[in-house]
Amino acid sequence: MRQLKLFLGPQHPGMHGNASIHLFVEGDVIKKSYLLPGMLHRGFEKGMERHTWVNNISLIPRVCVVEPDINEMCFAMGVEKLAGIDVPERAHWIRMIVLELARISIHMMAYGGLGGPTGNYTLMYHAHADRNTILNIFEKISGHRVYHQYIVPGGVRKDLPVGIEKDIHAFLDDLESRYTEYRDLGIESPSIRARIDNNIMLPEHVVWELGVTGVGMRSAVGKAYDIRKVMPYARYDQVDFNVPVGTYSDATCRVDIKLQEVVQSIGIIRQCLEKMPEGPVRVPFGKGQSMRWTVPKGHVYSVVESSRGEFGYYMVSDGGTYPYRVGVRGASYPQGLLGIEKYMPGTRIDDAALWVDTMGVCSPEIDR
Amino acid sequence: MNSINNTEFLANLIETTYNVSKTEIIDQYQMSFEVNKEDVHNILTRLKSEGWIQLSYLSAIDWLEDGEFELVYIVFNWEKPVYVQIRTRLPRENASINTILPIYPGSKYYEREAHEYFGIHFPGNPDYEKPLIMEGWDDMPPLRKDFDPEAYSDAHFPKRALKEPFEVLKGNESIQVKEATRLERIKNVITGGKK
Repeated sequence: MRQLKLFLGPQHPGMHGNASIHLFVEGDVIKKSYLLPGMLHRGFEKGMERHTWVNNISLIPRVCVVEPDINEMCFAMGVEKLAGIDVPERAHWIRMIVLELARISIHMMAYGGLGGPTGNYTLMYHAHADRNTILNIFEKISGHRVYHQYIVPGGVRKDLPVGIEKDIHAFLDDLESRYTEYRDLGIESPSIRARIDNNIMLPEHVVWELGVTGVGMRSAVGKAYDIRKVMPYARYDQVDFNVPVGTYSDATCRVDIKLQEVVQSIGIIRQCLEKMPEGPVRVPFGKGQSMRWTVPKGHVYSVVESSRGEFGYYMVSDGGTYPYRVGVRGASYPQGLLGIEKYMPGTRIDDAALWVDTMGVCSPEIDR
Repeated sequence: MNSINNTEFLANLIETTYNVSKTEIIDQYQMSFEVNKEDVHNILTRLKSEGWIQLSYLSAIDWLEDGEFELVYIVFNWEKPVYVQIRTRLPRENASINTILPIYPGSKYYEREAHEYFGIHFPGNPDYEKPLIMEGWDDMPPLRKDFDPEAYSDAHFPKRALKEPFEVLKGNESIQVKEATRLERIKNVITGGKK
């Protein structure tokens, strides 16, 4: 049969972000595929070397467009480790609230994204409406909707506004009350189940071969391999939550785990709001004028659990006002590049967009 | 086994067998070893057999003054949670190190990226010389410290011309100009732009 070349993206309803997948198809089966990144390359790693430590705060959230807070957290944790400073207790809890709200919003977006390639747009609109509510909360907290620049080295930029607890509780109650409705719209819907059941598999040996982390790994390995549990940062060791796992990693399993994680995040935020102490929220990590703050020499790899897996910053300081090198380990790097090359062939064209969505590929963090 | 024992275990494992020039315990979940280029593959193989089965990151740092690249491999074990940085130095001229593809298959694209950004060669990796992110790049690898993005930009793109020439005013002069523009604006509002 004749082999044709097709492009999935960058303009495609099922493609997330500005990347293109080249598909070589016979009939409607993909025989060969590879990702073509680079359409959103903004030279962040070089850019960070040319900005001071404090300037970089406004640059780093842009690394991953939909989930900026993990970048801020990674950068802040790295600087704190290098400088050896302790963050005020209240700041830890505020950070956890922000990170978990971000996790809910990105899981909602990914779950809603399931609606695009399966033709069930109602789900997408519902999920985006809820994400919008979270963005409203972020706007009240930080003044920005998407790039918050809220988690900074040494704490958070300012304290939570008065009365925000009420808004957050209202949102969480609302989301929890509509949880079954969400399941009915998406994962319980027969038209979607026909597409994702026993489809787009990710077996355990593939997980270890590629180095996939996050939901993909936990759905295949069946163990609670979550950085929040394994090596807790912030105050994740003081809150009570479960890590949902699975052993049969088809697309259904991965989507189901995402939904269960939303429930766990709701629980974490409620505990944080309850346990959060009063006090200061920020300590400076340098002395004098902030543009001349320096960070001691050292190499550090700071890492957080993002919605797609392990997200890390490798940071090197030579003791100056500028970082010497900052390397970004995007969570979707393994499945986005090697995964698409090796394991996308064999699926059908219409499943390619589902593959990208359920594996959690985010092209901005591959390009950087 | 708690994580403090893990770092001791690792230090024992690597320092006794291989030539380590510097060991650093960054915190209870992270430690680093500076090793010779020849030992990298043995150490990674050993670590993988001990459970450090995930390659988290692979990249390089350009130490221009020393004339060396520092290559860093970060591996992780989910059962004994310690991130291990294996760092090694390569000479800057014709930097080359054998691929770790047979040990960690996930390193394929990291090595390709390191070649694109730093110009380090990874013999054994089939595709490492293909461009990945920067299509049609015609200059030196961009993350090297001697690459200047401003000079590149000046050489390749036209300078954006300003519409009107301007000069920076100082002290009293700027206040006078501001006042004049303010009055003019008020006048415009009153007259509706007519003169």
